[in-house]
Amino acid sequence: MSSATLPAKMPPRWGHRIDDDRRVDFVGYLFVAFFSVPFFLFNILPVFFGIYVGFTRWSIIGSPRWVGLDNFTQAFNDRWVWVGFENVLLYGLLIVPSVTVLGLVFALFVNRGYPLSGLARALFFAPNVVSATVIGLVWVWLLDTQYGLVNHYFSFFGVGAIPWLTSTQWSLVGVSIASVWWDLGLAFVLFLAALQDIPSDLTEAALVDGAGPWARLRFIILPHLRPVLSMVVTLQLISTLRIFSQVYVMTNGGPGVSSQSPIYYVYQVAIVRNLFGYASAIAMLLFIGILMLTLLQRFILSERA
Amino acid sequence: MNFLPNRLRNWLDERRMTAIDLPIWLIGMAVAFAWFAPFVWMVSTSLKYPSDVMTQDIEWLPHRVTLNNYIKVFDYPIVRWGLNSIIQAVTSTALSVLFGAMAGYALARLRFPGRDALFAIFLASLMIPTEVSIIPMLLGVIKLGWASSYQALILPTIGNVFSVYIFRQFFLSFPKEIEEAARVDGAGPLRLFFLIALPLARAPAIAATVILFTLNWNNFLWPLLVTFDESMKTLPVGIAAFTPVVGTHTQLEGFSVAMAAVTILSVPSLLLFFFLQRYFIQGISQGSLKQ
Repeated sequence: MSSATLPAKMPPRWGHRIDDDRRVDFVGYLFVAFFSVPFFLFNILPVFFGIYVGFTRWSIIGSPRWVGLDNFTQAFNDRWVWVGFENVLLYGLLIVPSVTVLGLVFALFVNRGYPLSGLARALFFAPNVVSATVIGLVWVWLLDTQYGLVNHYFSFFGVGAIPWLTSTQWSLVGVSIASVWWDLGLAFVLFLAALQDIPSDLTEAALVDGAGPWARLRFIILPHLRPVLSMVVTLQLISTLRIFSQVYVMTNGGPGVSSQSPIYYVYQVAIVRNLFGYASAIAMLLFIGILMLTLLQRFILSERA
Repeated sequence: MNFLPNRLRNWLDERRMTAIDLPIWLIGMAVAFAWFAPFVWMVSTSLKYPSDVMTQDIEWLPHRVTLNNYIKVFDYPIVRWGLNSIIQAVTSTALSVLFGAMAGYALARLRFPGRDALFAIFLASLMIPTEVSIIPMLLGVIKLGWASSYQALILPTIGNVFSVYIFRQFFLSFPKEIEEAARVDGAGPLRLFFLIALPLARAPAIAATVILFTLNWNNFLWPLLVTFDESMKTLPVGIAAFTPVVGTHTQLEGFSVAMAAVTILSVPSLLLFFFLQRYFIQGISQGSLKQ
């Protein structure tokens, strides 16, 4: 056997070199299938099924009855739907700016790299990793009118006991406080990652030029953070639109409907009143709002890129 | 800076801090500890006698300690809920990490028609909030007769795009030579993936596992909706009923028992987080920043 008949390397068994442009790995379909089947079955199919359900009257026992646009016209005339959207607007006004500003301030602090800043980072992020049940119950206890820690420390400033969760004026504020504590972690981490991306020669050059901390914040840090800032604001807006678990655990939407949120109302319509069609229609309206916000955010981000 | 004592000044210099940095540092650290204080208060309350809880004086360290609240928690089916939570979180996480790794590998390294369109669909689906599909999904699950079952708790949580994404990112920058060499040695795609690629993908695997595990462990809305049976509840759903407030919740026990319950619930997530912080924080910022 002469050496000329043997190729320098044995050809790979599946017939092509790895960087051959014409190869087709049909086994790829098998690899993707394990993920795709549950994904399409449980993430995508229900969305389309939900559109259909939104046009029907349907309860757990019984079969669907097509009602056309009835659910949607009913939703527009439903006072509680509007209450939900009004409340979510207030939640947004309270939660989004607080999370953004506090998250940025905490990230700026940790980014200075002081001693123990790793510990500070962990402490700021920790509430983000526990369940809504933990957040809810801990804050119900902290915000207790008579024995709560918050009112205890507030009383030093001569403020009377505030019924954070048990009065219609305050319940939404009480839930928002807990939500800010819970949600801050993500904003904080995103800001921190962006701050660490700022090239160090840029800040050093500014230092050599005698830029003070304010000038550095104004002319280097904030412009650099702009895309992340818009991302944090929209992500937080979306998660505020979806606010449910903490409302459920802390106040049950009450007292009255004072801390009710749209998803909480969807839950009530579906589970308590057993109107699955109507609940789907309301969820669909909410989805349109969330989708518009997401697209707006994508648009802003791509403008900057 | 002359007003500072020498030793303090040296200490600051060693850390490249100036006199202005000192108060900023002290205040910042105080805020960080205050941010964590609710957890300390939670544990402290859980160790108090119920009669010491509802008082005006604040005791960060209880003057007498009891484990009674933790024992009382077991009057409720908390062992069963815990078991459900473990089964649900472990199975969901294991399946979504494995399937995510396979899909991520295929999307990054294998070539087949429709690959990029599929990935685009995966990414676009991130814009759909779960709340939209949750009511129709519940209806479907009930009609299938799956209410209060493990398959209903587990199956809908498997298709998590985050895990595909994080593995795809990793395998995109995976050196070609390793695969090339293995192929030359005659390894088929399955062996290549399971024996070579997957064992090298430790970092994304750990990140995906810890993040998805906490996500599944803490999942609230779906288990709340789908478990009608008390014995099929998960920990977060079961313990949520411990809220001792006005409203429609039943007044079960006092705050001390409620705090013992949430301490049990939060310890796994908090421990996992403190030990694997790096993976958490990198994974989360990667997952949401670089889409």
